[in-house]
Amino acid sequence: MENRDPVVHLDRNFWIVTAVFAVLSAISVWYFGTFDFVALLPESAAPAGDIDALTRFLLMSSGPLFVFVIGYLLYFTIAYRVRKSDAPDAIGTQIHDSHSLELWWTVIPTIFVVIMAIFSVKIWYNIEVAQPTGGIAVEAIGHQWFYTFRYPNVHGEIPDAMHLEVGVPVTLHVTSSDVIHSFWIPTMRIKADMVPGLINTLHFTPLNPGTYKIICTEFCGTLHGDMEKQTVVIEDHAHFTAWYNGWVAKTKNASDAIATTSAGAIPLAGGSASAGQALFATKCSACHKIAPFDQKIVGPGLKGLLDDPKHPNLVDGQKATPENVAAIIQHGYKGDMGAMPDMTANGLSDKDIANLVAFLKNQK
Amino acid sequence: MATATVHAGGIADHVHPEPQGFVRKYIFSIDHKIIGIQYLITGFVFLVLAGLLAEVIRVQLMHANGGFVSADTYNEVYSIHGSAMVWLVIIPLATGAFGNFVFPLQIGARDVAFPWLNMVSFWLFPPAGLLLFGSFLLGAPAAGWTEYPPMSLQGAPGTSMWCAAIFLVGVSSTMTGLNFLVTLIKMRAPGMTFTRMPLFCWAQFATAPMSMIATTALAAALAALFMERQFGVPFFDPTKGGSPVLWQHMFWFYSHPAVYIMILPVFGIISEVFPTFARKPNFGYKMIAFSSVSIALLSFMVWAHHMFTSGLAPFLQLPFMILTMLIAIPTGIKIFSWVATLWEGKIHYTTAMLFAIGFIATFTFGGITGVFLSAVPFDLHAHGTYFIVAHLHYVLVGGSLMGLLSGVYYWYPKMTGRLMNDKLGHWTFWLFFIGFNGTFLPMHMLGLLGMPRRVATYDPQFQTWNQIESIFSFVMTFALLLFFANMLWSLRNGKKAGSNPWGARTLEWQLPSPPHYYNFKHIPTVFSTPYDFAEPLPYAGLEEELTDSPGPAPAVAH
Amino acid sequence: MAVITVPDGHAHDDGPDQLYVETRELRLQGFLLFLVSDVVLFCSFIFAYLYLRNSGQGWPPAGISRLDVAFAAFNSMVLFGSGCTMHYALENWKHNNFNKYVACMVATIILGVTFLGGQGYEYTTLMLKDHVTWSGSGIFGASFFTLTGMHGFHVAVGVIYLSIILLQSIHGTYTKDKYFGLTAGTLYWHFVDVIWVVLFSIFYLI
Repeated sequence: MENRDPVVHLDRNFWIVTAVFAVLSAISVWYFGTFDFVALLPESAAPAGDIDALTRFLLMSSGPLFVFVIGYLLYFTIAYRVRKSDAPDAIGTQIHDSHSLELWWTVIPTIFVVIMAIFSVKIWYNIEVAQPTGGIAVEAIGHQWFYTFRYPNVHGEIPDAMHLEVGVPVTLHVTSSDVIHSFWIPTMRIKADMVPGLINTLHFTPLNPGTYKIICTEFCGTLHGDMEKQTVVIEDHAHFTAWYNGWVAKTKNASDAIATTSAGAIPLAGGSASAGQALFATKCSACHKIAPFDQKIVGPGLKGLLDDPKHPNLVDGQKATPENVAAIIQHGYKGDMGAMPDMTANGLSDKDIANLVAFLKNQK
Repeated sequence: MATATVHAGGIADHVHPEPQGFVRKYIFSIDHKIIGIQYLITGFVFLVLAGLLAEVIRVQLMHANGGFVSADTYNEVYSIHGSAMVWLVIIPLATGAFGNFVFPLQIGARDVAFPWLNMVSFWLFPPAGLLLFGSFLLGAPAAGWTEYPPMSLQGAPGTSMWCAAIFLVGVSSTMTGLNFLVTLIKMRAPGMTFTRMPLFCWAQFATAPMSMIATTALAAALAALFMERQFGVPFFDPTKGGSPVLWQHMFWFYSHPAVYIMILPVFGIISEVFPTFARKPNFGYKMIAFSSVSIALLSFMVWAHHMFTSGLAPFLQLPFMILTMLIAIPTGIKIFSWVATLWEGKIHYTTAMLFAIGFIATFTFGGITGVFLSAVPFDLHAHGTYFIVAHLHYVLVGGSLMGLLSGVYYWYPKMTGRLMNDKLGHWTFWLFFIGFNGTFLPMHMLGLLGMPRRVATYDPQFQTWNQIESIFSFVMTFALLLFFANMLWSLRNGKKAGSNPWGARTLEWQLPSPPHYYNFKHIPTVFSTPYDFAEPLPYAGLEEELTDSPGPAPAVAH
Repeated sequence: MAVITVPDGHAHDDGPDQLYVETRELRLQGFLLFLVSDVVLFCSFIFAYLYLRNSGQGWPPAGISRLDVAFAAFNSMVLFGSGCTMHYALENWKHNNFNKYVACMVATIILGVTFLGGQGYEYTTLMLKDHVTWSGSGIFGASFFTLTGMHGFHVAVGVIYLSIILLQSIHGTYTKDKYFGLTAGTLYWHFVDVIWVVLFSIFYLI
């Protein structure tokens, strides 16, 4: 019968080598423990600090593991090599297993994994689940091959750097206008994919003033490699407010090239129903279904909006025509039925409204 | 001890007649040994082609604003490089080549359960490869081997060829998995219980159901993408109500088990090479076997760790993170077991052993970076960067490919009757090992510092390291060329190997090199695992295998 | 017969045609595994359908009226009926009732064809009257036609396969002891039934 728990004789060299590995492990733990991540790559926001701490923990735990595994691998390979003096049929010590050793090297890594899991979950929770109150909501939209940004009360999309204020928590909603992109700020150590038809959200609080890169990390076409030229500018209250107010003012003027809002009627020609459908999914479906009028979520169902004999007028009393529908989206609604935000609050451009109306027209 | 009668008339006595003529012997063969060699040759041809594509990548990346190829061409190049390496090189070599050639011999069978199906499986493979590389003619797919929509919906017509090619090779893989599973369950020699099976067979046994089940899920995803591209059927296009994230779920549900399909057979190779060249049993046979099966099971539960940044609900990220961390434990157990196998061994520095030892080092490193990536917060930073490229090459090249090379040096004498040149093999190993690490180690850092993947041009601050990586990649390529030269040269000039040049103990080494078409004159009986070097060989009935006595008569047709 | 002491051996059957018995075991296991992988194929598309259906767009999507449950239920009875006749076909074969076997097989095939006809009717109604098409009706058309189409294809293959088996059995290919083709056909036909239970439930009932 094989001895499942054999007595094993470890010679003196084994213990010397083990001591060497212990020393090397200690050195690796010290090295990673004191490694200055920030010198290589600054931290521009919480949770970068948390993520660097996790990385540090992972490195400190892996160092000894790697030292011991590779160490014993090399030592055994060299120490137990066959010598010229060995008989040609020389064999090694025929040991099959050792229940106690196998138990330990299962239990200890499991404990390590559990500790790592606890640490990771804690940091994961801070980043993905916990939502800071207050702060600013910003939208980032991916395009081939640049980013644009939407800010509250700024009309249209800013194709420039993203400016943020130090210490003010940010809720960043990201999406895409075409293919999947990704929004990565290395100095913040977080990213979110920009998926058309979806809104993903990042929460962070900018900490250190400076200008930092935004990089696309999801293949998006020919110039994917170029999509790392834009930056996020983190600045103090005064500078940020100046920048922000500048854009609010700039986009209030009808003559501004980027913004497309006007006080007058929204042009509806050339609206694309398929683009409108995508917009509906991201912008409207939280409150409206494409279903009969009485199937409310927050607002009424919009099926047959322009063609419903039971409801020949819209909620504001106007006749159900495409132009009047566009007007409600443009100006919002407040009345007996409830309240609907206007196009600015919803972050819609004129083109968006044209597309939405084209889509709604088809929903008979 | 119970007695049993072993009867004439069963499968063990059913011998096909010897194939006649060049075509039936070497082209449309139903012999698992020939099919295994066909997979080996075809896989290596695609390795050369896909490796050339890799060098196009490395030449382009020597300059931050490189103009060696256009950005569009570059994107096609890395997409086909990745697709070919996964589906035309590693998976066919691990399962089709070594699986086919080795394990039926190791279980004492005459062939696999469905030899004709085996032949069909193989012959789907070269056309699939032609289709994949042929996509360059129509405009190859350019969105990586993962082909995420909406990019892949808009991609050049070659993307549809890509769908068809991978579908074909997937069908081949599914049939092989089915074939191997039935063979391993039903056709082991008398006495060979599961716990007496060689560990390479355990590896194939764990891989086969993955091949069968996961690959079919990929077939569905590819079919959906093809239908959407060609017929406008909306699954993934968000402007028509589809979901790009749906593709990611369907794709990764296959592709995560796929990476274990690419490594488990290689674990099996290591489990054969180590005991043979350490002259002692694998440490912890039962745990190695059990961990193979648990890795196969767990591999189906972790796919969304490739999607942590895609918009998964947080409550979904959590279980995938935990399960991915768990899968590190059976993998770690194997590594520790192999290292313990070396303790108090008598280690022979054959080339196969060098590659196997090197495998432990590089695969462990790759496995550790994998554990890093399982932590969602770390992945939020590292996803989509060169850190991922580094990780995947450490486990697939430093892991799978090095293990496969070890397997070639080990089983080449059994396949051909000749030994490969060991001195050249040593040079090959060291050049490959140094070249490999020099190419991929710096990528970890570059990724974390801000270099995204899948870019033809990049931030000039990374240029020096990219040049260093490219130079080391040329060294690695040169080593592979030495490897191929060795394989070809040794066919005619290698030392004659005899039946058992390594003094190994599994059944294939008790037969001539190469074995007769019928494998065994008499199906042996097996009494224990083969790895105890202090015991006599645990088989009965092998006395005539190495003599001139005639083989078994072909069975009369029923 | 050689007698060898096998340390853990289990007795093999002392049957006359050992090769057939062992080969049949291989083929049965292979065929069952093939059915498993076919189930995985359907499960993948079922997952896609359920995922898309739950992606917040509302169901059924705008402009698509509910499917005709009554008709589909009737068609389902046709298919399940063919499962019963298939079962009896196999039983009759095993009990050597050749004529009853043929009758049951013919009934199965006719019912299978009837089911396909019903599907054809449903498809033409949807496409021509309701303007619901495979590619032009969003995820509803995509998932409905893909899944039921895959199923219909499997039924069609099954009908052809059963017809071949019927002809072969008339020709004398199968004996009382050797009829694996018939067993495989029965398993396949039941598999097609089970898939339909799932598809009917997820498209028509929920």
